[in-house]
Amino acid sequence: MMPSIETDSLIQNLSREAGPRRGLGGIRFGRLFAVTVALSLAAAFGMILFWIGVRPHLGQLVLETPFLFKIACTLSLAAAGIVLVHRAAVPGGIPPTLLALVPSGLLLVIGGLTDTSGLSIMGRNSGVSAPYCIGAILLASMPALVLVLGVLRTAAPTRPGLAGAITGLLAGALGATAYTIACVNDGRMFVAIWYPVAILIVACAGAAIGKRVLAW
Amino acid sequence: MRAERRGDAVAYQRLLKEIAEMLRRLVRYRLAQLGLNAHETEDVVQEVLIGLHTKRHTWDEARPFLPWLHAITHYKLIDAVRQMKRETRHRIDLTFDEFAEMFEAPAEDLDRATLDVDRHLAGLPEGQQVVVRALAVEGASVKATADKLKTSEGAIRVTFHRALQRLMALAEPGGPKSGKGRE
Repeated sequence: MMPSIETDSLIQNLSREAGPRRGLGGIRFGRLFAVTVALSLAAAFGMILFWIGVRPHLGQLVLETPFLFKIACTLSLAAAGIVLVHRAAVPGGIPPTLLALVPSGLLLVIGGLTDTSGLSIMGRNSGVSAPYCIGAILLASMPALVLVLGVLRTAAPTRPGLAGAITGLLAGALGATAYTIACVNDGRMFVAIWYPVAILIVACAGAAIGKRVLAW
Repeated sequence: MRAERRGDAVAYQRLLKEIAEMLRRLVRYRLAQLGLNAHETEDVVQEVLIGLHTKRHTWDEARPFLPWLHAITHYKLIDAVRQMKRETRHRIDLTFDEFAEMFEAPAEDLDRATLDVDRHLAGLPEGQQVVVRALAVEGASVKATADKLKTSEGAIRVTFHRALQRLMALAEPGGPKSGKGRE
């Protein structure tokens, strides 16, 4: 087929814009993303502190199993989310894989199954119910969802829905990380069920939003 | 691409031209494979070029260029195909109406209309002819036609749409058996 005149003039126009980009696009994605994650986490902690506050005796509980279990689960999920978002953002790199979720998944399953605390799965006998816990995590993950989706728009995700879902996963994990300092429910089964449920909800929201806002 | 970063417009233009050349071949082949109109090739090529231009900062100099280019091309191509399929469906809906008008209006000129219809339908395979005749000429419902032909409603719809597509292709100027007849 003959090269069309239209395409040629388009190429000419585009090539005139050669040169380094200004604005957010000019900053390397990795750096921008790192700053965003830090900001999101700070915002999540801020929201939890403002609305719920630190749980009583957190200082003494920090080194005890229930808290360590929670923070290990949420941080490993957040780490997986960071790796996956980075992969989803870069075209032609290593594609995102579910394998990244295996460590946190194992941790949650094993932790949940070895739970001997006898605390209610719905959280009735520990002062805080499951819907409350989910609601708090959802709220705390909103800043991360918005910010990370915003940065991803400067990148080039070739699968917008998937990239959005992964962003939701990261945002949910960050929100849950912040919520650990307020969460008074120490049942591992409770954590292993309701934390992932909350994160999954954010991931679904992220997928739905990402499909629209991440397409380019 | 490295030259582009330094602001070398000439080298960048040369690169884009080479990419366009390659895309043209690739896109045309893919569209033909999917049974879509190869006339859209140039539009899709332009889409990809614009996409790669606006996202050029996402290529990392430390990484190979071709996988990056491939990922972007793939994404834009899928996007374009999806859109074209949507538009095709839309277009067929319109023709359905046109078809209805076409068959209802010339009631007093029945012979000519029937003749016209026969001439157009002759270009279709037998199975499609039967379906179009039942739905559009006799005005039967999809369900009734499906029952009569002992097949599913979905199959009837698919056959009908294929038939319409084919009729449109035949009616297009330059297509086989095209006359001065109405489209």
